[in-house]
Amino acid sequence: MEWVRYFLAGILLLLGLFLEILAVFGVNKFRKALNRIHAAAIGDTLGILFVFLGCMVLRGFSMDSLKLFLVIAFFWLASPVSGHMISRLEAMTNENLGEIAVVHLDNEGKQEEKDHGSV
Amino acid sequence: MSKRKSPQELGGYLKFKRWLAGDLDLLEDVTEDAGPAVAPESADRLPARDSALESRRRASEEVYGPEVWPQSHTPGYAQAWRDRIALQKGTGDAQAVLQAQEKSLRFFRAVYKIMAVLLCGAIILVFLWTTVHLPPFGSPDNPANNEVPARYIRHGVEETGATNFVTGMILDYRAFDTFGESCVLFIASCCVQVLLRVDACDGKSAARTRIQQENDRLFEPKNDGILQQTARLLVPLILIFGVYIILNGHLSPGGGFSGGAVLGSGLILYLNAFGFAKTERFFNERIYRRITLCALTFYCLAKSYSFFTGANHLESGIPLGTPGAILSSGLILPLNICVGLVVMGTMYSFYTLFRKGGM
Amino acid sequence: MEVFELLLLLSLVVCAVSVAVIRDLLASIIVFMSYSLIMCIIWILLQSPDLAITEAAVGAGVTSVLFFVTLKKIHAIRKEDRDE
Repeated sequence: MEWVRYFLAGILLLLGLFLEILAVFGVNKFRKALNRIHAAAIGDTLGILFVFLGCMVLRGFSMDSLKLFLVIAFFWLASPVSGHMISRLEAMTNENLGEIAVVHLDNEGKQEEKDHGSV
Repeated sequence: MSKRKSPQELGGYLKFKRWLAGDLDLLEDVTEDAGPAVAPESADRLPARDSALESRRRASEEVYGPEVWPQSHTPGYAQAWRDRIALQKGTGDAQAVLQAQEKSLRFFRAVYKIMAVLLCGAIILVFLWTTVHLPPFGSPDNPANNEVPARYIRHGVEETGATNFVTGMILDYRAFDTFGESCVLFIASCCVQVLLRVDACDGKSAARTRIQQENDRLFEPKNDGILQQTARLLVPLILIFGVYIILNGHLSPGGGFSGGAVLGSGLILYLNAFGFAKTERFFNERIYRRITLCALTFYCLAKSYSFFTGANHLESGIPLGTPGAILSSGLILPLNICVGLVVMGTMYSFYTLFRKGGM
Repeated sequence: MEVFELLLLLSLVVCAVSVAVIRDLLASIIVFMSYSLIMCIIWILLQSPDLAITEAAVGAGVTSVLFFVTLKKIHAIRKEDRDE
Protein backbone atom coordinates (compact mmCIF):
# COMPACT_ATOMS: atom_id res chain seq x y z
CA MET A 1 0.00 0.00 0.00
CA GLU A 2 2.80 2.34 0.92
CA TRP A 3 4.65 2.03 -2.35
CA VAL A 4 1.43 2.68 -4.32
CA ARG A 5 1.14 5.97 -2.52
CA TYR A 6 4.77 6.87 -3.19
CA PHE A 7 4.37 5.94 -6.84
CA LEU A 8 1.25 8.08 -7.20
CA ALA A 9 2.86 11.02 -5.41
CA GLY A 10 5.94 10.74 -7.59
CA ILE A 11 3.90 10.76 -10.76
CA LEU A 12 1.92 13.78 -9.62
CA LEU A 13 5.04 15.69 -8.55
CA LEU A 14 6.82 14.93 -11.80
CA LEU A 15 3.80 16.02 -13.81
CA GLY A 16 3.62 19.27 -11.82
CA LEU A 17 7.31 19.96 -12.25
CA PHE A 18 7.06 19.23 -15.97
CA LEU A 19 4.24 21.77 -16.25
CA GLU A 20 6.27 24.33 -14.29
CA ILE A 21 9.25 23.85 -16.60
CA LEU A 22 6.90 24.18 -19.55
CA ALA A 23 5.62 27.46 -18.11
CA VAL A 24 9.16 28.79 -17.66
CA PHE A 25 10.07 27.87 -21.23
CA GLY A 26 6.87 29.40 -22.51
CA VAL A 27 7.37 32.67 -20.69
CA ASN A 28 10.85 32.98 -22.11
CA LYS A 29 10.04 31.69 -25.58
CA PHE A 30 6.87 33.57 -26.52
CA ARG A 31 7.15 37.16 -27.69
CA LYS A 32 3.63 38.50 -27.23
CA ALA A 33 2.30 39.43 -23.81
CA LEU A 34 -0.91 37.43 -24.09
CA ASN A 35 0.94 34.25 -25.02
CA ARG A 36 3.27 34.76 -22.11
CA ILE A 37 0.31 35.18 -19.76
CA HIS A 38 -1.10 31.91 -21.06
CA ALA A 39 2.17 30.08 -20.39
CA ALA A 40 2.59 31.60 -16.93
CA ALA A 41 -0.99 30.80 -15.98
CA ILE A 42 -0.44 27.12 -16.81
CA GLY A 43 2.42 27.02 -14.34
CA ASP A 44 0.50 28.95 -11.72
CA THR A 45 -2.62 26.80 -11.81
CA LEU A 46 -2.01 23.32 -13.18
CA GLY A 47 1.61 23.02 -12.12
CA ILE A 48 0.88 24.16 -8.56
CA LEU A 49 -2.17 21.88 -8.44
CA PHE A 50 -0.22 18.75 -9.39
CA VAL A 51 2.78 19.53 -7.18
CA PHE A 52 0.61 20.14 -4.14
CA LEU A 53 -1.61 17.16 -4.91
CA GLY A 54 1.53 15.07 -4.88
CA CYS A 55 2.50 16.53 -1.51
CA MET A 56 -1.01 15.84 -0.19
CA VAL A 57 -0.91 12.22 -1.36
CA LEU A 58 2.50 11.85 0.25
CA ARG A 59 1.20 13.25 3.52
CA GLY A 60 -2.14 11.49 3.72
CA PHE A 61 -5.11 12.84 5.63
CA SER A 62 -3.80 15.46 8.07
CA MET A 63 -3.79 19.13 8.94
CA ASP A 64 -0.92 19.74 6.53
CA SER A 65 -2.96 18.38 3.63
CA LEU A 66 -5.79 20.74 4.53
CA LYS A 67 -3.39 23.68 4.51
CA LEU A 68 -2.01 22.60 1.15
CA PHE A 69 -5.56 22.39 -0.16
CA LEU A 70 -6.16 25.96 1.06
CA VAL A 71 -3.01 27.08 -0.76
CA ILE A 72 -4.30 25.44 -3.95
CA ALA A 73 -7.66 27.15 -3.51
CA PHE A 74 -5.97 30.53 -3.00
CA PHE A 75 -3.85 30.07 -6.11
CA TRP A 76 -6.82 29.01 -8.22
CA LEU A 77 -8.66 32.11 -7.07
CA ALA A 78 -5.86 34.64 -7.31
CA SER A 79 -3.81 33.58 -10.31
CA PRO A 80 -6.54 33.60 -13.00
CA VAL A 81 -7.71 36.99 -11.77
CA SER A 82 -4.23 38.47 -12.04
CA GLY A 83 -3.91 36.96 -15.50
CA HIS A 84 -7.25 38.47 -16.41
CA MET A 85 -6.16 41.91 -15.19
CA ILE A 86 -2.89 41.84 -17.11
CA SER A 87 -4.53 40.63 -20.31
CA ARG A 88 -7.24 43.24 -19.98
CA LEU A 89 -4.60 45.96 -19.66
CA GLU A 90 -2.81 44.53 -22.67
CA ALA A 91 -6.01 44.45 -24.71
CA MET A 92 -6.70 48.07 -23.83
CA THR A 93 -3.26 49.50 -24.47
CA ASN A 94 -1.83 47.49 -27.34
CA GLU A 95 -2.92 48.84 -30.70
CA ASN A 96 -1.60 45.89 -32.69
CA LEU A 97 -4.09 43.39 -31.38
CA GLY A 98 -6.91 44.36 -33.70
CA GLU A 99 -10.53 44.52 -32.70
CA ILE A 100 -10.96 43.33 -29.15
CA ALA A 101 -13.95 44.64 -27.28
CA VAL A 102 -13.24 45.73 -23.70
CA VAL A 103 -16.34 46.43 -21.68
CA HIS A 104 -16.29 48.97 -18.86
CA LEU A 105 -18.86 48.70 -16.11
CA ASP A 106 -20.09 51.62 -14.06
CA ASN A 107 -20.70 51.45 -10.33
CA GLU A 108 -23.99 49.60 -10.62
CA GLY A 109 -22.47 46.95 -12.84
CA LYS A 110 -24.16 48.15 -16.03
CA GLN A 111 -22.32 48.40 -19.27
CA GLU A 112 -21.00 51.91 -19.65
CA GLU A 113 -18.85 52.07 -22.74
CA LYS A 114 -17.13 49.79 -25.13
CA ASP A 115 -13.55 50.21 -26.18
CA HIS A 116 -12.34 48.57 -29.31
CA GLY A 117 -8.78 47.60 -28.64
CA SER A 118 -7.00 50.69 -29.78
CA VAL A 119 -6.96 53.75 -27.56
CA MET B 1 38.73 51.36 -24.72
CA SER B 2 37.34 54.83 -24.33
CA LYS B 3 38.14 55.67 -27.95
CA ARG B 4 35.36 53.47 -29.27
CA LYS B 5 32.66 55.40 -27.45
CA SER B 6 30.65 57.96 -29.28
CA PRO B 7 30.94 61.56 -28.17
CA GLN B 8 27.37 61.44 -26.84
CA GLU B 9 28.39 58.98 -24.16
CA LEU B 10 31.39 60.96 -23.05
CA GLY B 11 29.52 63.82 -21.47
CA GLY B 12 29.25 62.37 -17.94
CA TYR B 13 31.44 64.94 -16.27
CA LEU B 14 29.89 67.79 -18.19
CA LYS B 15 26.47 66.50 -17.27
CA PHE B 16 27.55 66.30 -13.66
CA LYS B 17 28.81 69.87 -13.73
CA ARG B 18 25.63 71.10 -15.34
CA TRP B 19 23.60 69.13 -12.84
CA LEU B 20 25.55 70.72 -9.98
CA ALA B 21 24.84 74.12 -11.46
CA GLY B 22 21.17 73.19 -11.57
CA ASP B 23 20.82 73.43 -15.31
CA LEU B 24 20.30 69.80 -16.17
CA ASP B 25 17.53 67.41 -15.44
CA LEU B 26 19.32 64.11 -15.12
CA LEU B 27 16.22 62.08 -15.88
CA GLU B 28 15.56 63.99 -19.06
CA ASP B 29 16.89 61.35 -21.43
CA VAL B 30 15.82 58.42 -19.32
CA THR B 31 12.24 59.18 -18.54
CA GLU B 32 10.81 60.71 -21.67
CA ASP B 33 10.88 59.35 -25.16
CA ALA B 34 12.46 62.47 -26.54
CA GLY B 35 14.63 61.04 -29.25
CA PRO B 36 18.39 60.67 -28.96
CA ALA B 37 20.32 62.80 -26.54
CA VAL B 38 22.27 65.47 -28.36
CA ALA B 39 25.67 66.43 -27.10
CA PRO B 40 26.22 70.18 -27.11
CA GLU B 41 29.17 70.05 -29.53
CA SER B 42 27.32 68.60 -32.51
CA ALA B 43 25.98 71.79 -33.94
CA ASP B 44 24.23 70.21 -36.90
CA ARG B 45 21.85 68.29 -34.69
CA LEU B 46 20.69 71.27 -32.70
CA PRO B 47 17.69 72.17 -34.91
CA ALA B 48 16.32 68.64 -34.64
CA ARG B 49 16.61 68.77 -30.88
CA ASP B 50 14.98 72.18 -30.80
CA SER B 51 11.98 71.06 -32.82
CA ALA B 52 11.56 67.94 -30.71
CA LEU B 53 11.74 70.07 -27.58
CA GLU B 54 9.24 72.50 -28.98
CA SER B 55 6.67 69.77 -29.66
CA ARG B 56 7.20 68.32 -26.22
CA ARG B 57 6.82 71.75 -24.64
CA ARG B 58 3.54 72.27 -26.46
CA ALA B 59 2.27 68.87 -25.33
CA SER B 60 3.22 69.67 -21.76
CA GLU B 61 1.55 73.07 -21.94
CA GLU B 62 -1.72 71.48 -22.98
CA VAL B 63 -1.71 69.25 -19.94
CA TYR B 64 0.01 71.14 -17.16
CA GLY B 65 -0.03 74.78 -18.14
CA PRO B 66 2.89 76.91 -19.27
CA GLU B 67 4.76 77.36 -16.01
CA VAL B 68 5.69 73.74 -15.43
CA TRP B 69 8.03 73.37 -18.37
CA PRO B 70 11.64 73.84 -17.17
CA GLN B 71 13.66 76.71 -18.52
CA SER B 72 16.47 74.44 -19.64
CA HIS B 73 14.23 72.68 -22.14
CA THR B 74 13.35 75.66 -24.26
CA PRO B 75 14.68 75.73 -27.82
CA GLY B 76 18.07 77.27 -28.35
CA TYR B 77 19.08 76.54 -24.81
CA ALA B 78 22.09 74.46 -25.83
CA GLN B 79 23.27 77.26 -28.09
CA ALA B 80 22.87 79.78 -25.29
CA TRP B 81 24.78 77.51 -22.98
CA ARG B 82 27.66 77.25 -25.41
CA ASP B 83 27.70 81.02 -25.78
CA ARG B 84 27.83 81.38 -22.03
CA ILE B 85 30.81 79.06 -21.80
CA ALA B 86 32.56 80.97 -24.49
CA LEU B 87 31.90 84.23 -22.64
CA GLN B 88 33.19 82.81 -19.40
CA LYS B 89 36.38 81.48 -20.96
CA GLY B 90 36.97 84.75 -22.78
CA THR B 91 37.39 83.05 -26.13
CA GLY B 92 35.15 83.31 -29.10
CA ASP B 93 35.34 79.68 -30.07
CA ALA B 94 33.11 77.52 -27.92
CA GLN B 95 34.08 74.48 -29.94
CA ALA B 96 37.72 74.67 -28.89
CA VAL B 97 36.79 75.15 -25.26
CA LEU B 98 34.55 72.13 -25.38
CA GLN B 99 37.23 70.01 -27.01
CA ALA B 100 39.73 71.00 -24.32
CA GLN B 101 37.20 70.06 -21.71
CA GLU B 102 36.68 66.79 -23.52
CA LYS B 103 40.36 65.98 -23.22
CA SER B 104 40.49 66.62 -19.50
CA LEU B 105 37.26 64.73 -19.22
CA ARG B 106 38.75 61.62 -20.75
CA PHE B 107 41.55 61.70 -18.20
CA PHE B 108 39.02 62.22 -15.43
CA ARG B 109 36.97 59.24 -16.54
CA ALA B 110 39.98 56.95 -16.67
CA VAL B 111 41.05 57.98 -13.18
CA TYR B 112 37.46 57.67 -11.98
CA LYS B 113 37.11 54.11 -13.25
CA ILE B 114 40.43 53.01 -11.77
CA MET B 115 39.60 54.59 -8.43
CA ALA B 116 36.16 52.98 -8.37
CA VAL B 117 37.59 49.52 -9.00
CA LEU B 118 40.31 50.06 -6.39
CA LEU B 119 37.78 51.26 -3.80
CA CYS B 120 35.47 48.30 -4.45
CA GLY B 121 38.37 45.86 -4.23
CA ALA B 122 39.54 47.43 -0.97
CA ILE B 123 36.09 47.17 0.59
CA ILE B 124 35.71 43.55 -0.53
CA LEU B 125 39.14 42.74 0.89
CA VAL B 126 38.28 44.29 4.24
CA PHE B 127 35.01 42.33 4.38
CA LEU B 128 36.67 39.06 3.42
CA TRP B 129 39.39 39.62 5.99
CA THR B 130 36.77 40.25 8.66
CA THR B 131 34.82 37.17 7.61
CA VAL B 132 37.88 34.98 7.88
CA HIS B 133 38.44 36.13 11.45
CA LEU B 134 34.85 35.56 12.54
CA PRO B 135 34.28 32.75 15.07
CA PRO B 136 32.87 29.55 13.56
CA PHE B 137 29.12 29.38 13.09
CA GLY B 138 27.27 27.68 15.92
CA SER B 139 30.31 27.02 18.05
CA PRO B 140 29.63 26.96 21.82
CA ASP B 141 32.65 29.13 22.52
CA ASN B 142 31.30 32.10 20.59
CA PRO B 143 31.22 35.44 22.41
CA ALA B 144 27.50 35.73 21.60
CA ASN B 145 26.86 32.54 23.51
CA ASN B 146 27.13 34.11 26.98
CA GLU B 147 24.81 34.21 29.96
CA VAL B 148 22.13 36.38 28.27
CA PRO B 149 20.67 33.77 25.86
CA ALA B 150 21.14 31.12 28.53
CA ARG B 151 18.93 33.10 30.87
CA TYR B 152 16.42 33.77 28.09
CA ILE B 153 16.18 30.09 27.29
CA ARG B 154 16.00 28.97 30.91
CA HIS B 155 13.62 31.57 32.35
CA GLY B 156 11.99 33.02 29.25
CA VAL B 157 8.68 31.21 29.35
CA GLU B 158 8.08 31.68 33.05
CA GLU B 159 9.07 35.35 33.00
CA THR B 160 7.22 36.48 29.89
CA GLY B 161 4.52 33.84 29.59
CA ALA B 162 4.91 33.66 25.81
CA THR B 163 5.46 30.28 24.23
CA ASN B 164 6.72 31.87 21.03
CA PHE B 165 10.04 32.85 22.36
CA VAL B 166 11.00 35.41 19.72
CA THR B 167 7.97 37.54 20.52
CA GLY B 168 8.67 37.21 24.21
CA MET B 169 12.11 38.60 23.59
CA ILE B 170 11.31 41.46 21.25
CA LEU B 171 8.19 42.62 23.07
CA ASP B 172 9.24 42.05 26.67
CA TYR B 173 12.96 42.00 27.31
CA ARG B 174 13.72 44.30 24.42
CA ALA B 175 10.43 46.12 24.06
CA PHE B 176 12.24 49.42 23.84
CA ASP B 177 13.90 48.39 20.57
CA THR B 178 10.54 47.47 19.10
CA PHE B 179 9.14 50.81 20.22
CA GLY B 180 11.98 52.48 18.33
CA GLU B 181 11.20 50.42 15.26
CA SER B 182 7.53 51.42 15.35
CA CYS B 183 8.57 55.05 15.67
CA VAL B 184 10.93 54.63 12.73
CA LEU B 185 8.00 53.33 10.67
CA PHE B 186 5.89 56.29 11.72
CA ILE B 187 8.68 58.76 10.92
CA ALA B 188 9.21 57.11 7.53
CA SER B 189 5.55 57.50 6.70
CA CYS B 190 5.74 61.17 7.81
CA CYS B 191 8.73 61.73 5.52
CA VAL B 192 6.92 60.16 2.59
CA GLN B 193 3.98 62.46 3.33
CA VAL B 194 6.30 65.48 3.33
CA LEU B 195 7.83 64.41 0.04
CA LEU B 196 4.83 63.17 -1.88
CA ARG B 197 1.81 64.92 -0.48
CA VAL B 198 -0.01 67.04 -3.01
CA ASP B 199 -1.36 70.24 -1.55
CA ALA B 200 -5.00 70.63 -2.45
CA CYS B 201 -5.43 74.25 -1.31
CA ASP B 202 -3.94 75.88 -4.38
CA GLY B 203 -6.33 75.86 -7.30
CA LYS B 204 -3.69 75.25 -9.91
CA SER B 205 -2.12 72.34 -8.07
CA ALA B 206 -5.56 70.90 -7.46
CA ALA B 207 -6.15 70.86 -11.20
CA ARG B 208 -2.78 69.24 -11.68
CA THR B 209 -3.69 66.62 -9.10
CA ARG B 210 -6.87 65.85 -10.95
CA ILE B 211 -4.98 65.46 -14.22
CA GLN B 212 -2.42 63.23 -12.61
CA GLN B 213 -5.15 61.10 -11.11
CA GLU B 214 -6.79 60.76 -14.46
CA ASN B 215 -3.49 59.82 -16.04
CA ASP B 216 -2.91 57.31 -13.34
CA ARG B 217 -6.29 55.70 -13.66
CA LEU B 218 -6.60 56.01 -17.40
CA PHE B 219 -5.56 52.54 -18.43
CA GLU B 220 -6.56 50.82 -15.25
CA PRO B 221 -9.66 48.71 -15.30
CA LYS B 222 -12.33 50.56 -13.42
CA ASN B 223 -14.94 48.48 -11.64
CA ASP B 224 -13.71 45.22 -12.99
CA GLY B 225 -16.36 42.68 -12.08
CA ILE B 226 -14.13 39.64 -11.85
CA LEU B 227 -11.61 41.40 -9.64
CA GLN B 228 -14.36 42.77 -7.41
CA GLN B 229 -15.98 39.39 -6.88
CA THR B 230 -12.63 37.80 -6.09
CA ALA B 231 -11.76 40.65 -3.75
CA ARG B 232 -15.09 40.20 -1.97
CA LEU B 233 -14.12 36.61 -1.37
CA LEU B 234 -10.43 37.05 -0.62
CA VAL B 235 -10.11 40.31 1.33
CA PRO B 236 -11.99 39.10 4.42
CA LEU B 237 -9.91 35.93 4.46
CA ILE B 238 -6.68 37.90 4.15
CA LEU B 239 -7.73 40.30 6.90
CA ILE B 240 -8.72 37.41 9.18
CA PHE B 241 -5.38 35.78 8.53
CA GLY B 242 -3.57 39.01 9.44
CA VAL B 243 -5.58 39.38 12.64
CA TYR B 244 -4.83 35.75 13.46
CA ILE B 245 -1.10 36.31 13.00
CA ILE B 246 -1.20 39.38 15.25
CA LEU B 247 -3.34 37.84 18.01
CA ASN B 248 -1.40 34.58 17.99
CA GLY B 249 1.95 36.37 18.05
CA HIS B 250 2.89 35.15 21.51
CA LEU B 251 1.90 31.55 20.75
CA SER B 252 3.11 30.82 17.24
CA PRO B 253 5.54 32.39 14.76
CA GLY B 254 4.39 35.78 13.62
CA GLY B 255 3.53 38.89 15.51
CA GLY B 256 2.90 42.54 14.96
CA PHE B 257 5.17 43.20 12.02
CA SER B 258 4.21 40.28 9.81
CA GLY B 259 0.52 40.48 10.72
CA GLY B 260 0.47 44.19 10.03
CA ALA B 261 2.10 43.60 6.66
CA VAL B 262 -0.58 41.05 5.76
CA LEU B 263 -3.35 43.42 6.89
CA GLY B 264 -1.86 46.24 4.82
CA SER B 265 -1.68 44.00 1.75
CA GLY B 266 -5.35 43.09 2.17
CA LEU B 267 -6.27 46.76 2.37
CA ILE B 268 -4.25 47.49 -0.76
CA LEU B 269 -6.07 44.71 -2.61
CA TYR B 270 -9.41 46.16 -1.52
CA LEU B 271 -8.30 49.59 -2.66
CA ASN B 272 -7.28 48.29 -6.07
CA ALA B 273 -10.54 46.47 -6.54
CA PHE B 274 -13.01 49.08 -5.35
CA GLY B 275 -11.23 52.41 -5.74
CA PHE B 276 -10.42 55.24 -3.40
CA ALA B 277 -13.96 56.42 -2.81
CA LYS B 278 -15.16 53.20 -1.22
CA THR B 279 -12.01 52.68 0.84
CA GLU B 280 -12.14 56.16 2.30
CA ARG B 281 -15.49 55.40 3.84
CA PHE B 282 -13.82 53.28 6.48
CA PHE B 283 -10.15 54.15 6.34
CA ASN B 284 -9.22 57.75 5.68
CA GLU B 285 -6.45 59.99 6.86
CA ARG B 286 -8.14 60.97 10.13
CA ILE B 287 -8.67 57.39 11.18
CA TYR B 288 -5.12 56.54 10.19
CA ARG B 289 -3.80 59.42 12.31
CA ARG B 290 -5.89 58.38 15.30
CA ILE B 291 -4.93 54.73 15.06
CA THR B 292 -1.22 55.47 14.80
CA LEU B 293 -1.31 58.05 17.57
CA CYS B 294 -3.24 55.80 19.96
CA ALA B 295 -1.04 52.79 19.29
CA LEU B 296 2.21 54.67 19.71
CA THR B 297 1.00 56.51 22.82
CA PHE B 298 -0.16 53.30 24.46
CA TYR B 299 3.13 51.63 23.69
CA CYS B 300 5.09 54.63 24.95
CA LEU B 301 3.12 54.80 28.21
CA ALA B 302 3.47 51.08 28.89
CA LYS B 303 7.18 51.19 28.22
CA SER B 304 7.85 54.34 30.24
CA TYR B 305 5.95 52.76 33.13
CA SER B 306 8.45 49.94 33.09
CA PHE B 307 11.22 52.53 33.05
CA PHE B 308 9.92 54.05 36.25
CA THR B 309 9.67 50.66 37.90
CA GLY B 310 13.29 49.76 37.41
CA ALA B 311 13.50 49.10 33.66
CA ASN B 312 14.40 45.48 34.10
CA HIS B 313 11.93 44.27 31.55
CA LEU B 314 8.34 45.12 30.73
CA GLU B 315 6.77 44.70 34.16
CA SER B 316 3.04 44.96 34.43
CA GLY B 317 0.44 44.26 37.02
CA ILE B 318 -1.32 41.93 34.64
CA PRO B 319 -0.97 38.27 35.65
CA LEU B 320 0.92 36.24 33.09
CA GLY B 321 -1.63 33.45 32.86
CA THR B 322 -0.85 29.98 31.68
CA PRO B 323 1.64 29.84 28.82
CA GLY B 324 -0.09 28.68 25.67
CA ALA B 325 -3.47 30.29 26.33
CA ILE B 326 -4.58 33.15 24.09
CA LEU B 327 -5.05 35.52 27.06
CA SER B 328 -1.64 35.15 28.59
CA SER B 329 1.78 36.74 28.79
CA GLY B 330 0.67 40.09 30.15
CA LEU B 331 1.34 43.11 27.99
CA ILE B 332 2.68 41.27 24.97
CA LEU B 333 -0.71 40.81 23.33
CA PRO B 334 -1.77 44.51 23.41
CA LEU B 335 1.71 45.58 22.34
CA ASN B 336 1.51 43.18 19.41
CA ILE B 337 -1.80 44.74 18.43
CA CYS B 338 -0.24 48.22 18.62
CA VAL B 339 2.71 47.28 16.43
CA GLY B 340 0.41 45.55 13.95
CA LEU B 341 -1.83 48.62 13.66
CA VAL B 342 1.15 50.93 13.11
CA VAL B 343 2.62 48.66 10.43
CA MET B 344 -0.73 48.29 8.68
CA GLY B 345 -1.28 52.05 8.62
CA THR B 346 2.22 52.68 7.37
CA MET B 347 1.95 50.25 4.48
CA TYR B 348 -1.46 51.50 3.41
CA SER B 349 -0.43 55.16 3.67
CA PHE B 350 2.72 54.50 1.64
CA TYR B 351 0.68 52.98 -1.12
CA THR B 352 -1.92 55.74 -1.23
CA LEU B 353 0.73 58.45 -1.06
CA PHE B 354 2.59 56.91 -3.96
CA ARG B 355 -0.59 56.44 -5.92
CA LYS B 356 -2.29 59.81 -5.58
CA GLY B 357 -0.32 61.93 -3.14
CA GLY B 358 -2.70 61.85 -0.21
CA MET B 359 -4.85 59.52 1.75
CA MET C 1 19.73 19.55 1.51
CA GLU C 2 23.22 20.97 1.47
CA VAL C 3 23.13 21.15 -2.32
CA PHE C 4 19.77 22.93 -2.15
CA GLU C 5 21.13 25.53 0.29
CA LEU C 6 24.18 26.02 -1.87
CA LEU C 7 21.98 26.55 -4.94
CA LEU C 8 19.85 29.05 -3.04
CA LEU C 9 22.86 31.02 -1.83
CA LEU C 10 24.40 30.98 -5.29
CA SER C 11 21.23 32.30 -6.91
CA LEU C 12 21.02 34.90 -4.13
CA VAL C 13 24.45 36.20 -5.12
CA VAL C 14 23.55 36.09 -8.81
CA CYS C 15 20.34 38.03 -8.15
CA ALA C 16 22.11 40.61 -6.00
CA VAL C 17 24.77 41.25 -8.64
CA SER C 18 22.31 41.37 -11.51
CA VAL C 19 20.08 43.87 -9.70
CA ALA C 20 23.02 46.25 -9.73
CA VAL C 21 24.15 45.39 -13.26
CA ILE C 22 20.86 45.31 -15.21
CA ARG C 23 20.18 48.63 -16.94
CA ASP C 24 16.46 48.11 -17.42
CA LEU C 25 14.78 49.38 -14.25
CA LEU C 26 11.68 47.19 -14.58
CA ALA C 27 13.74 44.03 -15.04
CA SER C 28 15.98 44.88 -12.11
CA ILE C 29 12.93 45.34 -9.87
CA ILE C 30 11.61 41.93 -10.89
CA VAL C 31 15.01 40.39 -10.17
CA PHE C 32 14.93 42.13 -6.79
CA MET C 33 11.55 40.51 -6.16
CA SER C 34 12.99 37.08 -6.84
CA TYR C 35 15.88 37.95 -4.53
CA SER C 36 13.33 38.55 -1.78
CA LEU C 37 11.63 35.23 -2.49
CA ILE C 38 14.92 33.32 -2.29
CA MET C 39 15.71 35.17 0.92
CA CYS C 40 12.30 34.08 2.25
CA ILE C 41 13.09 30.40 1.59
CA ILE C 42 16.47 30.84 3.26
CA TRP C 43 14.79 32.30 6.35
CA ILE C 44 12.55 29.26 6.52
CA LEU C 45 15.58 26.96 6.24
CA LEU C 46 17.19 28.94 9.07
CA GLN C 47 14.05 28.17 11.13
CA SER C 48 12.70 31.68 11.53
CA PRO C 49 9.27 31.57 9.88
CA ASP C 50 8.15 34.94 11.27
CA LEU C 51 10.95 36.66 9.37
CA ALA C 52 9.98 34.62 6.32
CA ILE C 53 6.39 35.88 6.47
CA THR C 54 7.58 39.47 6.81
CA GLU C 55 10.09 39.08 4.01
CA ALA C 56 7.47 37.62 1.68
CA ALA C 57 4.89 40.31 2.46
CA VAL C 58 7.19 43.32 2.60
CA GLY C 59 10.18 42.44 0.44
CA ALA C 60 8.49 40.63 -2.39
CA GLY C 61 5.05 42.23 -2.20
CA VAL C 62 4.80 45.80 -1.07
CA THR C 63 8.31 47.04 -1.85
CA SER C 64 8.05 45.94 -5.46
CA VAL C 65 4.58 47.44 -5.78
CA LEU C 66 5.93 50.75 -4.48
CA PHE C 67 8.83 50.53 -6.94
CA PHE C 68 6.41 49.86 -9.80
CA VAL C 69 4.25 52.83 -8.84
CA THR C 70 7.37 55.00 -8.67
CA LEU C 71 8.48 53.86 -12.10
CA LYS C 72 5.06 54.67 -13.44
CA LYS C 73 5.17 58.11 -11.82
CA ILE C 74 8.51 59.02 -13.36
CA HIS C 75 7.47 57.47 -16.70
CA ALA C 76 10.39 55.08 -16.72
CA ILE C 77 8.36 52.22 -18.19
CA ARG C 78 8.81 53.05 -21.84
CA LYS C 79 6.51 52.18 -24.66
CA GLU C 80 8.99 50.27 -26.78
CA ASP C 81 9.66 47.88 -23.93
CA ARG C 82 6.13 46.61 -24.23
CA ASP C 83 5.87 45.21 -27.72
CA GLU C 84 9.35 44.37 -28.85
